[in-house]
Amino acid sequence: MSSWFDYTINGLVVGNIYALLAVGLALIFGVSHLINFAQGSVYSVGAYVGLVCITYLNTPLPLTIAIVLASCGLLGILIERIGLRPLQGRTRIAPLLATIGISLVLDQIVQLVFSAQPRALPSQVPDWRFVIGGGSIGALDLLIAAIGLASAAVLFAFLRFTKLGWAVRATAQDREAAQQMGVDVDRVDSAVFAIASALGGLSGLLVGMYYNNISPAMSFQATLKGIVAQVIGGVGNVPGAIFGSLFLGLTESYGIALFGTSYRNLFAFVILILVLISWPNGLFGGRRSLPPEPLTGTFIAPSRPVLLPFWLVVALVATGLLLPVVVTSPYVIQTLSNAWLYGMLALSLTLVAGTAGQISLGHAALLAIGGYASALLALDLGLSVLVAIPLAGLITGLIGTLLVYPAFGLRGHYVAIATLGIGEIVSLVILNWESLTRGPIGITGIPPLAIGKHDFYSAPAVYWLTFAVLVGLALLQRRLLRSPLGRTLRAIRDDDVAARTYGINPNRYKGLAFAFSGFVAGVSGAITAHLYSYINFETFTSQISVLALTMAILGGLGNVFGAIAAAIALVGLPEIFRVASDYRMLIYGLALLLLIRFRPQGLFGTV
Amino acid sequence: MKTRASIWTVRWLVAVVAAGLLAILGESPSSAAEPILLGVSGPLTGSNAQYGAQWKTGFDLALDQINGSGGIKGRPLQYVFEDSQSDPRQSVSIAQKFVNDPTIVAELGDFSSPASMAASPIYQRAGLVQFGFTNSHPDFTKGGEFMWSNTVNQADEQPALAEFAVKRLGLTRLAVIHLNTDWGRISKDIFVKAAKEDGAEVVATEGFLPDEKDYRSTLVRIRESKPDGIVIIAYYADGALIARQLRSAGIKLPVVAVSSVYSPKFLELGGDAVEGIYTKANFFPEDPRPEVQTFVKAYQAKYGKDPDTFAAIAYDTVVLLSEVIKQYGTERKAIRDGLASIKDVPSVIYGRVTFDPQTRRVLGAKTINLVIKNGKFALWDGSKPAIN
Repeated sequence: MSSWFDYTINGLVVGNIYALLAVGLALIFGVSHLINFAQGSVYSVGAYVGLVCITYLNTPLPLTIAIVLASCGLLGILIERIGLRPLQGRTRIAPLLATIGISLVLDQIVQLVFSAQPRALPSQVPDWRFVIGGGSIGALDLLIAAIGLASAAVLFAFLRFTKLGWAVRATAQDREAAQQMGVDVDRVDSAVFAIASALGGLSGLLVGMYYNNISPAMSFQATLKGIVAQVIGGVGNVPGAIFGSLFLGLTESYGIALFGTSYRNLFAFVILILVLISWPNGLFGGRRSLPPEPLTGTFIAPSRPVLLPFWLVVALVATGLLLPVVVTSPYVIQTLSNAWLYGMLALSLTLVAGTAGQISLGHAALLAIGGYASALLALDLGLSVLVAIPLAGLITGLIGTLLVYPAFGLRGHYVAIATLGIGEIVSLVILNWESLTRGPIGITGIPPLAIGKHDFYSAPAVYWLTFAVLVGLALLQRRLLRSPLGRTLRAIRDDDVAARTYGINPNRYKGLAFAFSGFVAGVSGAITAHLYSYINFETFTSQISVLALTMAILGGLGNVFGAIAAAIALVGLPEIFRVASDYRMLIYGLALLLLIRFRPQGLFGTV
Repeated sequence: MKTRASIWTVRWLVAVVAAGLLAILGESPSSAAEPILLGVSGPLTGSNAQYGAQWKTGFDLALDQINGSGGIKGRPLQYVFEDSQSDPRQSVSIAQKFVNDPTIVAELGDFSSPASMAASPIYQRAGLVQFGFTNSHPDFTKGGEFMWSNTVNQADEQPALAEFAVKRLGLTRLAVIHLNTDWGRISKDIFVKAAKEDGAEVVATEGFLPDEKDYRSTLVRIRESKPDGIVIIAYYADGALIARQLRSAGIKLPVVAVSSVYSPKFLELGGDAVEGIYTKANFFPEDPRPEVQTFVKAYQAKYGKDPDTFAAIAYDTVVLLSEVIKQYGTERKAIRDGLASIKDVPSVIYGRVTFDPQTRRVLGAKTINLVIKNGKFALWDGSKPAIN
């Protein structure tokens, strides 16, 4: 079977490309315990620096590489110094949000300078082809592999044989202890970001040359693939990241071979979840890897939440109810309705991420399940919308919990990656299960929101409906948090082992949290589907998952009111900044960074 | 330290909210003798931003010509472009903004089906024309009598492509690689049906995801199906990537691509690898039709590059709407009725545009067979590919 040989080679070629991304992510994770969402943006900056060098300055390849390494290294130092160091020692989750903000800002700057059009990045490597099996590989493939291996070797030598390398490893093992031994941990952070960003930029350059295609939109996918690859290898493990990348490339390639192109990522993500469950430390993690992460309060720092007095809550709800009477602009009312729908999503996520301590990066999947469930119940079974929406919530709660159940044994960032994978799986199943979901064509003609014969078309009607549902769910969630159930969930979050010794079965409680959370998100997705009248697999993208997490963190993890306030802010700000036209998303990113800079514990504090 | 920080946060938040309120309240209604406004909802940031940028070039060129010759009854025609990122959440808000702004006479866009069709109920209810000039989803115009589209109908385009591949180029075993979205999927289904009717066999169909960049393994799968020709249903950026990876997979077969690849970017991103690819286009610079000549010459003069299909359809759309407004006035309802009754508006894509008032779409897009020769699009000279 010569084609199997070709699939293997192709898998290795692609894995090779993921490896360059994953190594940088692994290095930063190893030292800072941080998923760096900005890595993909540095990667695209690297590609564009390369473009400037090659097309405008006509530099030869070694000089191009040197310039890209230097400028991206510098960019890494700046990111660490300006974006992350001020947050040090505040909370562990704030830097994650900061990297999301930095990524937004960098992507927007690249787009403003170079336009959104994809550009060709001419390869400076001679176009020699080597025939292997039925296909061939080029000199650039070999160069990418060589640079991947060389950078891993140099890193290995650096960590093993230089003083700064020892300092990096010491800091990775125990930051406080290293500091007490006289290690300048700030300098270590700087060095790590410089190295990782230089590598990220270099991979952008090489991958851009490989595809002869670079665009400002290339960063998000690159980050996702890099994260997945490094987790397969074992987080924070550099050789593991390379191995994980090749493994991911191979699974994708074999997935195509076995099932066809549209199953590529589905197969890869199913393998990812299986790997995570079977080897919770990654394939390369072994026993020597990091101790299981959050022990007490490391991940979610306790802070004093802002408590709203009862009269203020009543006043806010009353204001919310009366708003459409005062504000006549349907545009503002519609935007606020969107904020209420996202508020439900944020409530749902803040419960599992904040109260139960399970950071989820796949929450958009719950919206999708809810939306599809309600749309299909109304269209195929002819249920009235009023019945379909809560039923869709229940279905989402059930399916969501069953999907996440296998990941309950995981902790910290592994939960985030597992949920990210599950989210992708849901979206790909929707795409491929055509007999039920109508595949890529999507579902059209979803009936509008209605009670009996009364349609909810006008902006105020949609507003009142979404606001009422949001307030109802928020009160329910507040009640839940104050009950013994809420206390138990926080106990599991803060100290899993201690909770067990008190006879608590963490899985059962996590299951309850995910079920409630799934219900809330499912209702939000269901209302959205009826509001839009058309949904397909692209309606609820993975970027919505990132946005939901941003809201949950910004509001203060676990904080019900904070989640809603953050939803208003993050849905409203891009609308307000419309006056800035082309600069609107840039300003939005900067606003996000400022908010997290001054309120790292979230606007209203962690509960 | 902590209190100072929170005071600053409060001040900052107050400033942001105040700025926002000012922005909302500051939009005063415009007086008479003002420009006639079209609302555009489309992506200027996010992953589809490149298409919004192409639209703008077409819009601006059409407006230069219309306003340069006195506008519409002395009033200039202009557009308000709101960035939706092709995100339904934002396109719905934009729809509320447009329908409640009495100065907007018609709306153009959005780009993707989820973003466009989520906003349709709002436009339909308010009685504002939603002109989806890239919306090929067959259900888009079924959203109501205010949903219109002049996008090239896949029921037109795909049978013509199949005819080119099968009858003209003589290919008999086709492998189709298509973008797995509503557009790509519908195109593929129509193409496969037409190709079979023309007597060819479709030996493989592979659908790829919008974010895909690596096609090597897909191409191995296609090679295994032993086709004698490859059909690409994708936009120009993906199309160029596929073309480049064909040779890595050791495939040297004739390639036929849909007209969406007709863009100078396809040549730039594809390099040597797109040489010899057959495609179709709705217009071509050497086409003697006067509307094509006016458009292409002016476009090259203004932007220093060749236009692509997205720019052409955007240009056509503004020309069409200016003609409707000229003849039927600026009332929203009048524009809808005007679209139903207007006849033979000059168009780059169609030659002459007349809508079918039932489907609210246009049939009869012009097509020309092209081949890429010496790094340029050239008219196909009728020669069949050498079968390897």
